Parts: sequence; C-alpha cells; structure tokens
Amino acid sequence: MAKTKYNDPKLEEKLRDRKYYITDSNPEFLKDVERIGRTIAHMCFQCGTCTGSCPSAPRSSYRIRLFMRKAVMGLEDEALTDPDLWLCTTCYSCTDRCPRDIAPTDVIMAMRNLAARRDIIPRNFLKTTQLIYQTGHGVPNNDVNRAARRKLGLTEEPPTTHMYPEYIKGIRKIMDHYGLKERADRILAEGE
Amino acid sequence: MRQYAFFLGCIAPNRYPGIEAAAIKTSRNVGIELLPLNGASCCPAPGAFGSIDLKIWYAMAARNVVLAEQMGMDIALICNGCYKSIYEVNEKLKHNDDLRDGVNEVLAEIDMEFKGSIDVWHLAELYYDPEIVGVKKLAESVTHPLTGARIAVHYGCHLMKPKKERHFGDTEHPMWIEELVAALGAEPVQYRNKMLCCGAGGGVRGFDLTHALDITNEKLINLQEAGADALTEVCPFCQLQYDRGQIEIEEKFGVTYGLPVLHYNELLGLAQGMSPDELALDLHAVSVDPFLKKIL
Ligand code: SF4
Ligand code: SF4
Repeated sequence: MAKTKYNDPKLEEKLRDRKYYITDSNPEFLKDVERIGRTIAHMCFQCGTCTGSCPSAPRSSYRIRLFMRKAVMGLEDEALTDPDLWLCTTCYSCTDRCPRDIAPTDVIMAMRNLAARRDIIPRNFLKTTQLIYQTGHGVPNNDVNRAARRKLGLTEEPPTTHMYPEYIKGIRKIMDHYGLKERADRILAEGE
Repeated sequence: MRQYAFFLGCIAPNRYPGIEAAAIKTSRNVGIELLPLNGASCCPAPGAFGSIDLKIWYAMAARNVVLAEQMGMDIALICNGCYKSIYEVNEKLKHNDDLRDGVNEVLAEIDMEFKGSIDVWHLAELYYDPEIVGVKKLAESVTHPLTGARIAVHYGCHLMKPKKERHFGDTEHPMWIEELVAALGAEPVQYRNKMLCCGAGGGVRGFDLTHALDITNEKLINLQEAGADALTEVCPFCQLQYDRGQIEIEEKFGVTYGLPVLHYNELLGLAQGMSPDELALDLHAVSVDPFLKKIL
C-alpha cells in the first residue's frame, strides 16, 4: 500500500510499521498482474491452500501464498527480483484447489512476464527460444535419433520444420515481431 | 477411419521416436488415422515461452493450429505439454476476441489467420471416448495381453489441469487412464499422492535440476512402495523426467530405482503385438527388460 495520511498523530504513530507503510509499493503492479494473468488476484484471502498444494514449497523457500500477497500489496520489485519466482512447475494444483477461484499459477506467469520486461529471464528459458528460432524445435533431432527413426521405418526427419525447413521463416517472423531473438542473444551475451 | 492431423511436438519424435511409431500403428488398429501435420514446430514449450511473454506463446501455438485448420482437420497429439499449448491457445483464441485479434495481427505478417475452425484432442482421450474408440474396442484390439503386470499411472499436470479450463472432471483421484491400462490386461496400481507433478514443468528442469529431481524422487519413493512393475504416462516430457531423471537421481542422490517408464502408446503397442524393436525401447535410459520379462 502506498503511504496514507490519516491526519491523526496517534494513529500515524500506531501504523508507523513497515507492514503498513511500504513506500516501494506500486499499486499498478496488481493491475498489471491481473491483466496479463487474466485472473482475480485481489480476491486472495491468504488461506494458504495454494502453498499447501505446492510441490515446490516443501523443498525450497518458494511460497506461492507470499507471491499472492506481494501482488495485492503491490510489492513489484520484491516479487520480480526474487529467484523463487522461477521454481513454480506450473502444475496448477493450487489453481484447482484455490477456494477463491483464483489461478495463482497464472499470477506467477504474469509476474514472470513482467520480470522478463526487465530482462530477468533464466538462461535455460532463453536457450530454448534460441533453439526454436534456429530449428523450430526446442528439443531438436540428433544422429542417434535419426538412426533409430530409420530402423522404425519412420522418416529420418519428422514431418515438422525438420523435414520442411521452409516453415522456419514464419516462426522467425513471429519471434522477430516481438524482438525475442535479439533480446535473448543480448541477455545471454551479457551473462557470459 | 477417423482422420486427425498428428501434432508431434519435440520430445516424442526427437527423443522417443517409438512413441510416434506406436501412436500411428496402434491408432490405426482402433479406427484412427493420424496424418502428418507438415511444417509444425515445437508447441512452443509453455514454460519457456509463456514465462517470457504469453503473447508470443499464443502466436507461436496459433501458427501450429492454423496449419491444421488449413488441412481442415482436428488435431490429435500425444503430449501433455503440447496439449497445454495447442489445446489451451486454441480455446482461448476461440473465446476471447482481444487475444484472437492480437494474434491475427501478427499472423497476418506470415499470411496466416486463426479462424477457430478445429478442435484439439489428446489421443488418450480419444481412446477413452466411447463414441470414438472406447475401452471396449481398445480391449478388443489387444492380441498380447499384459497379464500379470502391475502398472502405475502418472497423469501429469497439463492434460487435466486447470480443471475449469478442461473437460476431464475430477483432478484429485481420476481413474480413467487406469481403465485404459486395465483394457490391456494389466493390473493398475494405486500409490500415494498420485497427482503430484513429475517436477519438470514450468522450466524448472532447466532452471534447477536438483529441485526438479527431488520432486521426481518423491514420486519414485511412492511408486516403489506400491510395488509397480512399470510406470505409464501420456506425456513424453514426464517420461523424459522419470526415465533420464532416474539416471540423474542415481548420480546426484545415490538412489537406484530401475523403474521402467513407458508412454501409454508404447504399452498399447506391446499389447497389440509390436516388438520392443518396433518401439525402440532400447532408447529408454532405464532398461525396460525387467518389465518385458514379466509380460512376454
Ligand atoms: S489458495 Fe487462493 S485464496 Fe488461498 S492463499 Fe492461495 S491464492 Fe489466496
Ligand atoms: S502451479 Fe506452481 S505455485 Fe501452484 S502448486 Fe504448482 S508449483 Fe506450486
């Protein structure tokens, strides 16, 4: 919440806690998250069903409920720079169980999109996009597999962009429309 | 024969081609013809692309859908991750004008347009649907029943969840894939926390392998406790996580399970008399032999 003036010195004193007066809060953050994630994050009443359902919670400091709170509180910087943001497996267990009909998974996806705008993207994500830019596949064919395919009576290259590389042009155009290739190259090079 | 455009994805054709070969052959035996979807690409990976920019994910997935629209055919596919991209984007674009308009603006640059004229199916749901195949017809296609094999099912996440955007009903204790397993003459096995994720999704396998494997390890502990002879799934990415993951778990955690992991289409292939060679089972990281000895 942005700092509020109550015009009551006693109340001001009582609420002078950081929990109430967070100056780095951005109220637009919640709106952005809800727009991108297409879900009603503000309805969260912090029951914790999501964290209780989460496969990543017992083995890390990642807490989906905490990210829900940060969305509502507008704690944009804290949420987007937390590496735990990338520990969600997108299993959707929380989404199926949330009693408020929110999709916490999509809140995470929205936050990742917002982090990506600040060039915070794990390298493995960027490398996958580069492979697709080059070949059309995130997991491309290789020689061992080609030999196996031949033995199975399949074509050495599957009838995808591998067999029809002329289709890769369209994929590149879509990615270039968003400047993804250039961004991935730049961020990966900066990290070298 | 019902015809579908066969969307392959990446991991089946490029790592476990036996799944692709089996899907084509086994489907033909139950009245489904899978035709090549020429020029298709990665779905694209919902974890990687969706996390960076959902709009790029929509547009890239839509390109694959449009290829099938141009064939005038519904899509059938064999991977939960592909289902997430292809099914979900197809539905979202059909029902949200704002998303469809945005995507079509980009697709116009490559002379394509998303029309929303086809549906997307996972092959497993077509097998289960009595109006398409059904458990009975599936059972009739079996020539080499998997008698005596105790098989556990991993449903995976992106086929059935989030349930309000799907049509599979209960996502806490589903049993329909067990019915597909029983149709092959095998005995389905239940285990603790069956619906837990394999650990690989959302880019986590690449971001923090140890974290991903720790989730897989929890599943393997539960599977071992139940005494399963094999694990089956309907997602090559889950298969990769369990299969290669067991080797990685051995290296990192020092535990060995030796649990064979087979895609449902590989099982169906065996039950319809395909040989291990015709399924390229030797490409599996964990040897399938103990399971084969049980059933052959
Ligand atoms: S389950 Fe839903 S309401 Fe409960 S804390 Fe999580 S997001 Fe909030
Ligand atoms: S979708 Fe993400 S946050 Fe939700 S339960 Fe699964 S791993 Fe946890």
